[in-house]
Amino acid sequence: MGQQQSGGGRRGDNDRGGGDADKEKKKKYEAPIPSRIGRRKKASKGPDAANKLPTVTPHARCRLKTLKMERIKDYLLMEQEFIQNQERLKPQEERQEEERTKVDELRGTPMAVGSLEEIIDDQHAIVSTNVGSEHYVNIMSFVDKEQLEPGCSVLLNHKTHAVVGVLSDDTDPMVSVMKLEKAPQETYADVGGLDQQIQEIKEAVELPLTHPEYYEEMGIKPPKGVILYGSPGTGKTLLAKAVANQTSATFLRIVGSELIQKYLGDGPKMVRELFRVAEEHAPSIVFIDEIDAVGTKRYDSNSGGEREIQRTMLELLNQLDGFDSRGDVKVLMATNRIESLDPALIRPGRIDRKIEFPLPDEKTKRRIFQIHTSRMTLCNDVNLEEFITAKDELSGADIKAMCTEAGLLALRERRMRVTMDDFQKAKENVLYRKKEGAPEALYL
Amino acid sequence: MVTSTAANEKENIEEPKAKKPLKEEKKDEMTEEDKKLEEDLGMLMQRLSEKDESLWKPSLDAMRNLIRASTTSMTSVPKPLKFMRPHYAKMKELHGAMPEGPVKKECADLISVLGMTSDEKSDCIKYRLFGSQEPIGFGYVRHLAMELSDYWKSSGVDTEEAKKRRVELEKLAHEIVKHHMKHNAEVEACDLLIEVERLDMLVEFVEEVDHQRVCHYLISCSPLTPDPDNSTLIQTAKTLYLKFGKPLEAVRCAVMLNDPEEIKRIVALTNDPTLRLQMAIILGRHQIFLDFEKIESGNQLADMNSNSHLFEYFHSLARELDIMEPKTPEGIYKSHLEHTRPFGGTSTHDSTRMNIAAAFVNGFVNCGFGVDKMMADQDEASRWFYKNKEYGMLSAAASQGLVWRWDIDAGLTQCDRFLYVNEDYIKSGTLLAIGIISSGVQDACDPASALLLDHIHSDRSVMRVGSILGLGLAYANSKRETVVKNEDGGIIVELKKVLSDNKPSATTEVKGLAGLSLGMIMVGTADHATAAEMLQYLMEKSDDLSDHNMRMVALGIALIFLGTQEKSEVFVESVRALPEPFGSMVATLVDVCAYAGSGNVLKIQQLLHICSEHYETPTDSKNKSKKGSAPPGGSTRTERPTNNLAASLAGQTPNPSGGPTPPRVQIPTSPVSTPSVGGVPLLASALPDGLGGLGITDQKKDDKKKEETRADLSSQQAVAVLGIAIIAMGEEVGTQMALRMFSHLFRYGEPVIRRAVPLALGLISVSNPQLTILETLGKFSHDSDSETAHNAIFAMGLIGAGTNNARLVTMLRQLASFHNKDPYSLMLVRLAQGLTHLGKGTLTLNPWHSDRQLLCPSAVAALFSTCFFFLDANNTVLSNRQHYLLYVLVSAMQPRMLVTLMEDEKRPGHLKQIPVTVRVGQAVDVVAQAGKPKTITGFQTHTTPVLLAFGERAELANEEYISYTPHLEGLVILRKNPEYEAMQQATSKK
Repeated sequence: MGQQQSGGGRRGDNDRGGGDADKEKKKKYEAPIPSRIGRRKKASKGPDAANKLPTVTPHARCRLKTLKMERIKDYLLMEQEFIQNQERLKPQEERQEEERTKVDELRGTPMAVGSLEEIIDDQHAIVSTNVGSEHYVNIMSFVDKEQLEPGCSVLLNHKTHAVVGVLSDDTDPMVSVMKLEKAPQETYADVGGLDQQIQEIKEAVELPLTHPEYYEEMGIKPPKGVILYGSPGTGKTLLAKAVANQTSATFLRIVGSELIQKYLGDGPKMVRELFRVAEEHAPSIVFIDEIDAVGTKRYDSNSGGEREIQRTMLELLNQLDGFDSRGDVKVLMATNRIESLDPALIRPGRIDRKIEFPLPDEKTKRRIFQIHTSRMTLCNDVNLEEFITAKDELSGADIKAMCTEAGLLALRERRMRVTMDDFQKAKENVLYRKKEGAPEALYL
Repeated sequence: MVTSTAANEKENIEEPKAKKPLKEEKKDEMTEEDKKLEEDLGMLMQRLSEKDESLWKPSLDAMRNLIRASTTSMTSVPKPLKFMRPHYAKMKELHGAMPEGPVKKECADLISVLGMTSDEKSDCIKYRLFGSQEPIGFGYVRHLAMELSDYWKSSGVDTEEAKKRRVELEKLAHEIVKHHMKHNAEVEACDLLIEVERLDMLVEFVEEVDHQRVCHYLISCSPLTPDPDNSTLIQTAKTLYLKFGKPLEAVRCAVMLNDPEEIKRIVALTNDPTLRLQMAIILGRHQIFLDFEKIESGNQLADMNSNSHLFEYFHSLARELDIMEPKTPEGIYKSHLEHTRPFGGTSTHDSTRMNIAAAFVNGFVNCGFGVDKMMADQDEASRWFYKNKEYGMLSAAASQGLVWRWDIDAGLTQCDRFLYVNEDYIKSGTLLAIGIISSGVQDACDPASALLLDHIHSDRSVMRVGSILGLGLAYANSKRETVVKNEDGGIIVELKKVLSDNKPSATTEVKGLAGLSLGMIMVGTADHATAAEMLQYLMEKSDDLSDHNMRMVALGIALIFLGTQEKSEVFVESVRALPEPFGSMVATLVDVCAYAGSGNVLKIQQLLHICSEHYETPTDSKNKSKKGSAPPGGSTRTERPTNNLAASLAGQTPNPSGGPTPPRVQIPTSPVSTPSVGGVPLLASALPDGLGGLGITDQKKDDKKKEETRADLSSQQAVAVLGIAIIAMGEEVGTQMALRMFSHLFRYGEPVIRRAVPLALGLISVSNPQLTILETLGKFSHDSDSETAHNAIFAMGLIGAGTNNARLVTMLRQLASFHNKDPYSLMLVRLAQGLTHLGKGTLTLNPWHSDRQLLCPSAVAALFSTCFFFLDANNTVLSNRQHYLLYVLVSAMQPRMLVTLMEDEKRPGHLKQIPVTVRVGQAVDVVAQAGKPKTITGFQTHTTPVLLAFGERAELANEEYISYTPHLEGLVILRKNPEYEAMQQATSKK
C-alpha cells in the first residue's frame, strides 16, 4: 500500500513537472543555509576567515615582504574606495534598517529568555524556559547558528517559543580571572639594576612577539619560556609586572596554587583552559608565579592529593612542549626553589632560559635605595652609604621594607623628615624579623 | 636593526629636553664603565679639535676601535654612538676644516657611521662617499644600503652632476653587494640592486651556492613588481641559471616570459639528451608544442613534447591506485543517499536534461581511462546516443572523447565506428570527440586535422559545429607548422575562411565557434592580423551584435591577447569602435585577458570602477556624464558614462586609459548620488524565455530592445568581475585579497555582478576546495536569484574539480535533493558532481603547474571561456543547443600525478617507469629564509606513481636517484646517484 501511495505521489508530481518552470517565480520553499553549529572550533574556519588578511611569509625584512604588504595595502585601499563609492551611490543604511525591522517583526515582542538544551538538527532544538518547561521548537533561519551551542541562553518567541536570537555571554569566567585587565604600574624603570636579567627577558619574551623576523633571519626559533629564580624579594614578580606593563600582548597571570583544585581532573583541565585561552588571544604571555606549588619533583605517593598535583604538572609539561604547537604563547615562571622543581619541567625546549636573580650587589642596592627614597624627605644626616656597604644580606624587598619602616617610625613621632636614626631602627626591625625563624642565632 | 635604531633615535632626541633638570641624577645612574667611555670619547673629541695634527690620526683610530668593540643588546644603539651624538655636529665641522688626506677620509668614515643615528637622512651616505670606503659592520652596511636607495631615487638623472653622483653611488652599491654576498645576505643584495635598477650587476657576484636562493627570490618578487621590472627579474634569474648550468630552470623562466624563440635556443644549447627530454616534458605539460627538427634527436623530443605517451603513464597510475574499473553516473550521484521527502517524488521528469548531464558526468568521471560502461559496445553506445535528442546526441557522442582522452589510437578506433552513421548529430559529436581526444596531444600524423578539416566547410551547420570546436580544442596553443602555415590546409587559414564564409550553413553559431577556436589555437600570440580580421567580422555584423554567438568571436579576440599585457593596448582602443554596449564589453574582455595572471593592481582598480557604476535613469546619467568627464583631484580613473543612451548622445570617445599610478584612495569623485532603481533592470538573458526550454529564440523583440541596451552595460560589469579573478590569481596575496573584494561586490553589486561573483570565486580557486570558499558558495547556491544559484553550483564543481572532496560531495548531494524539481539546477548539480570526481579524482583543472609558477595559457583560456559562457548561461550552456560548449574545459584537464621515469638501459634513448619512494607533503614557502629550511611539511612517504593534491610538493625520500628537475610534478626523469652505492657500502662496512 505504501508503494501505491508513493507511486501516486510521484505521478502527481510528474504532471506538475511540466509546469514547473513557469512556477519558477513563485515563492518556493527555501532551505536554510547549510550551517555548522557550535562555537568551539578553530578560528581559522568559517566564512569569517575569508575576511582575514593573508599572512605574509618571509618574516625577514626584505623587499619581497614590503611588496607583499604593499599589495595588501593596495587592495585594502581599493576596497575602501569601492565601498565609499557604493555607499555614496546606493546607501545601504535604509536597506539594513528595513531588514532589521523585518527581523524584529519576526521576532515579535515580548521575547522570553530560555536556555538551549539540545540541538536536534539545523532547524530544530529543545529549549527550556524560565519556568522550567522544555519545548521542541524551531530555530529561525536568521539566527547565527555558529553561536548556538548547548547550554547557551537564547531568545524565544513568546508564543511559539521558537529560537529567535542568541544572547552572547562572551565573558568566560576563566579568562576574566586570569586576564590582566589593567596593566600594573611598575615599569622597567622601577627595577633597580638587574640589567642583565631585563635584557634576557626582553630577548626571550618581548622580542619574539614584536620582531619575529630577527629570529627568522638568524634561522633560530625564539625561546618558548623563561623561568625566573632566586631568593625571595629579589624582584622576580616585579620584573614580570614590568613585562606586563610594557607589552601589548595579552598577559595572563596565574599562581601555581590556583591550579590545585578540589575535584580530580579540574587542575589539569584548568591548565588546558589556560593555554587554550592564551592561544585564542595570541600573542600572549602566560605568567605562572610560584610554580613550585605544582612543579615539585615527582615521587611515589599514596596521597590522592599529591598525585593530582603531579597530574596537573604533567598536563603543564604537555602544554609547554607537547604535540600541538602553541604559536605565539610565551611562558614566564617564577620560583624561589628551582632545585626542587621537576627536571622535566625546566628542560630546554620547555623552558629555554633560566634567569637567576641574585641578591643585589652594592651598585644595585644603591639604585634600589634611590628608587625607594626618591619620594621621601630625608634629613641631611641620612647616610645611605652606610647601609649599602654593610655586609648584611639585604634583598630588594628588605630595602623596601626598611624604607617603609623608617617612614612609619618618623610618622609615629609626627616628624616630616626621616632621620638616620629611623633608618637604623628600621633596619634592626627588618633584620630581626628576617632572622626570627632562624633559631641557630640563639645558640651562637 | 635599523628600525630599532630609528626608535632609539627618537628616544635620544627627546632625551635632552626631558632629562635636563635631572642631569645630575642621570649621571649618577650611569655605570662606571659607561662613564669612562664617555669621558674617553670626550677626551678624544677634545684632542681632535686641537690644532695638533699628529694627534688626529691616533685619536680617530682610538675612536673607531671604541665603536667597533662595542656590543650590546640587539634593541638599542651601541653606547659609543650614543655618547658621540652630542659631538656629531662638531665632528662635521672638523671634517670640513681638515686638509685633504687619509685623515680626512678616516674622519669621514667615522661621521658616516655616526650618521646612522643622526636626524639628517642623507648624512650617512654623503660622508661615506667622502670616506675611504672600507666596510665596517653589518648593521652599518644595511643602513647604508637603505639610505643609498633613498638617495638614488632622490637624485635625478637630469644634470651632469647627478650623473656623476650616480656613478659614484653605483660604485658604492657595487661594494655593498659584494659585502652582502660574502656575508650570506643575498636577499639584501637583490633588494638593493632592484632599487637602483642595476640587476645586471648581480650576475657577476652570485656564487654557485647562492644562485638557487637568489633566483627563487627574484622569481617570487616578480609577480608583485610593476610591468617592465617583473620581466627584468625573470630575465636576470634566467641568466643566472644559465650561468650555473641549470638550463632546465632557464627554460622555465623563458616559459614565464612567454618567449618561444628563447626556449628553442636554450633547448638547442643543452648537451645532455635526457635533460632535453625533461624540458620537452615540461613544455608538453605547459602545452607549448614546438618543432624540434633542427635539434639533435628532435623526433624523440617531439615525441615527449607531444604528450603522446601521457595516457600510458596515466593508465599505470590508475592501475597502481586500482581505479581502472569504470564508474557510472549513478555511482557518482549515489542518489539513494539523497534525502528525499516521502511524497516529493523522484526526479524522473525531464529526462533530456538528465541524459545530457549523464553524458557529461560519464565523460568527466572516466576521463582518460579508456573504459566506461556506456559506450564500450557499439550497440549499447548508439542506443545511449539515441536516447538524446538533436544536440543532446552531439554532446553524448562527444563524451567518447573524454573517455579516450590522450589515447589517440584506441580513441580513433572507437570513434571511427560512429563517423559513418546517418545521424548528423552523432557524426558531428564524434568529430568533436576526436578533437577532444587529441587536445593536448600532438600526434605526428595529425589525425585531428586530417579528419576534421574536411568538415569545417560542410553544408550542414551541425557538422561544422563539431569539427570547428574540435579543431580549436585539438590545436589549442599549438605553434606547429601544420597549424600556422599560411596556405590552404593550414588550420588557422581554414578557420579564417569559415569566418568570411557566406554559405547558408555558416550560421552565426558556426562563425562564433570559429572565432573561439581561433582564439584557443592562437592563445597568447597577440597576433594583430588575425584579431583584426575577427574584429572586421564583428564590425560588419555590427547591427546584429545582440546575438550571443557574437560574444564568442569577441572571446576569441580576447584569448589571442591572453597574458600579453601591454601589447594589447592598441587593440583595446580599436575595439571600442564597435557599437557601444558591445564595444566596451569587448574592450574590457580583451583588457582582462591581456593581464590574466599578472596580479596587476591598477587593472583591478579599473575593473572595480566599472563595477562601481549603477544603472540610473537617463536624465541623471546625462548629467553625470557631463560632470564626470572631468574628475577632480587628478585621478586617473577611466570613467565611462554609466548609461549607453547617454553614451550615444554624448558621442562618447574612449577616455585615455590611466597611466601607471599607484592606487590611492580617491575621494569619491562623481557628484551625482542618485540612488539607482535597484534591481529593476534585468539582464536580457534573465528573461524567462531561456528557462522555458525553448532554446534560443530570436531576442530582438522591439519592446525589449530598450531594456537590452541598458542591460548590456552590465555584461561589461560581469566580465569585469571575472577579470578581477583572472588577474588576481597571479599571486597568492592577491588571490586572498580578491576573496574579500568579492564579498563586497556581492553585497553591493547589481544582480549582474552578483551572478558573476560565484563564477569568479570558482575561477580563482580552481581545483582547490578551500573551506571558506566552499561555504560561501554553499550560501550562494541557495540564493533567491536562480542564476546566481546556478553559477554557484557550477563554481562548486570548478573548485572541487578532480578532488573527490568529501565535504563538497555531501553539500552537492544536499543540493541535489533541494533542487529536485528544477531541472536546470539539478543538471548543474550533476555536472558539479561529475567535475568533483573528474577522472575519479586523478585530474585537476588548475592552470598553474611546476610549483605553481607556470600558468598554462590554454588552461586559463579554457577556464575563462567556460566561466564567460556561464555569464549568459541560459543562452549558451543551459540552452538545449549549446551545452557542448562545456567541452571547452577539456584543455584545462591535466593529471595531477607524479610519475618517475628513467632511461632504459636496454633501449637507450627510451624511458621506462620506475617506482621510487617519495615524500609528499604540504608545500612551504621558503623564499628568503635563512639556512636550508624544509620545503614540505606534514609529509607522507609513498611510492611513485602518486597523486599530488593542490599545494602539495614531493621530494625524493632517499638519495638513490637524482632528479633532473627540482620540481617533482607530472613526469619526472631520474638518474641513479653514482655516490649512493658508495655511501651505502661505506655505512654497511661500519
